[in-house]
Amino acid sequence: MNTESETAKSRKAVSEAVVGQFSWGLMILFVLVSACWVLLPYTGYQFTAMVFLMVIVLAGTRWNRGPVLAMAVVSALVWNFFFIPPQFTLHIDKPQDMIMFALFFVVALSMGHLITRLREREAAVEQYHAEREQLLEAKHRAELLAESERLHRTLLDSVSHELKTPIAIIRTALDGLGQGNAYAGEIETANLRLQRIVENFLEMTRVESEALVPRPDWCEISDVLHGATAPLKRELGERRLRVSGAEELPLLMLDSRLLAQVLGNVLHNATLYAPGGSEIEIHMVLENGILEMRVRDHGQGLALGVEDHLFDKFYRAPDSPAGGTGLGLAIARGLMWAMKGDIEARNHPEGGAEFTLSLPVKTRQA
Amino acid sequence: MSKALIIDDEQQMRRLLRMVLESRGYEVCEAAEGQLGLQEAAFQRPDVVLLDLGLPGNGGMDVLKRLREWSDVPVLILSVRDREAVKVEALEAGADDYVTKPFGTAELLARLTVIQRRRFTRQSVEIGAGGVTINLLHHEARLHDEVMKLTPIEFALLRVLLEFSGRIVTQNQIIKRVWAGQSSDPSEGLRVHINHLRKKLGVTGPRIVNEPGIGYRLEVG
Repeated sequence: MNTESETAKSRKAVSEAVVGQFSWGLMILFVLVSACWVLLPYTGYQFTAMVFLMVIVLAGTRWNRGPVLAMAVVSALVWNFFFIPPQFTLHIDKPQDMIMFALFFVVALSMGHLITRLREREAAVEQYHAEREQLLEAKHRAELLAESERLHRTLLDSVSHELKTPIAIIRTALDGLGQGNAYAGEIETANLRLQRIVENFLEMTRVESEALVPRPDWCEISDVLHGATAPLKRELGERRLRVSGAEELPLLMLDSRLLAQVLGNVLHNATLYAPGGSEIEIHMVLENGILEMRVRDHGQGLALGVEDHLFDKFYRAPDSPAGGTGLGLAIARGLMWAMKGDIEARNHPEGGAEFTLSLPVKTRQA
Repeated sequence: MSKALIIDDEQQMRRLLRMVLESRGYEVCEAAEGQLGLQEAAFQRPDVVLLDLGLPGNGGMDVLKRLREWSDVPVLILSVRDREAVKVEALEAGADDYVTKPFGTAELLARLTVIQRRRFTRQSVEIGAGGVTINLLHHEARLHDEVMKLTPIEFALLRVLLEFSGRIVTQNQIIKRVWAGQSSDPSEGLRVHINHLRKKLGVTGPRIVNEPGIGYRLEVG
């Protein structure tokens, strides 16, 4: 598409240039003819032919083939008509003039042709070199990028492995201890918190490294809901989730893992502020190809001026309980942006905070 | 008594897994690296293998591929990586299921039980789980003893899910079995048919859980 329109544009530019060259050529010939006409008694008509040839050669070094060949033809005819005796006819008397005319014609045409062809070849070679250089540069850049991404990934993998292994060991050991020990319960809570912190840091790094590429696929919204709520059973506790609008949704083209993570982070944030036993509402609408998910809790709502910083990295609201990293919502926004969507927060008119995730999606009726 | 082989380079993890498995009546042997693991697998003839995908280098995946050259033993992948592509690669190289570290003991034991059961499903004309049965002889599916109206593709889909019941089955594995020999990419159609099948299974039937980027799992019981 793009290159086609560019070619069309450059073609247009060339044709405009050619029209310009035709008119310039005519003008120059007119001036030359007038000058040579004035000088004719002193120089003789053969001199005029040489002047014309020179102009054609010079034009050939700058202009396109069409105008140059036209100049050659026009100047030959003009020379014949105005300068070769008998003047003001295309008739030629002397045989040597006839030969002169024929030679002029041939020389002018072939000079024009040769020079423009030479120039075209030069331009092609130049373009070839420029393109080659561009390609090499692009390749080099791609290689550097791939290499840095690979390093990044390796580092992330090994840090991830080193940090998660002890957490996994603690988890398994705690399972072995069994339920009912209050001290073990505290360790478990702390371990889960540690796990969340580590995961958040790793995820934030991933979001910021731009190594994160969404992989959209057809999915049902129930997959997203399940993916978001299943890991949060413990945090949700006795808070009730009320989901509306999910039934009417068609199949959606989106990265369900990423969206589930965003929704999970927003829900986790809500559990920190919504009192136990209250309701957290998730409402979904699909309008004009935009999927909107509104998550509303019945907590205190957002403090004044908090909205602007809520999604900043490491930002912690003044009333936020201890234990957060200030990364959950920053990650949520990073992921939404990576998916070309957005996330906003405001206070619901009837109290409580309301987060709105919006995401452009393709749909398909199941 | 089942015999389990643990291949993991973390000594503490091996020790813990040994304790967990022995408390459930498994006989346990272990190996700290891939080559030893393969030898143990050959000598001890375990009934199930727990394989850490994070062995140094590309260790875990190599062990899995070499093990599959001569052994059909059920393999459970342990992995801290949560990158889907790696899991899919392992599953398609012959692993039976995976758990992501940190995992709960209950989840681990449940997965082990399920993958050890997998051999027997093929020997009967009836396959069933979670209230659903299909009869391959009569080409009939029943949900709580009521005949389900299924299209041929939905029937094939349900059959694959039931054969794998409780285990993860990758999108490619489903497509290979249900749309065998078709050249067009049926992944979009797969979503649609899963959606229909979910509706027909309703709330009383087993749940078809999607694991994004990997595949599906029929949750039973």
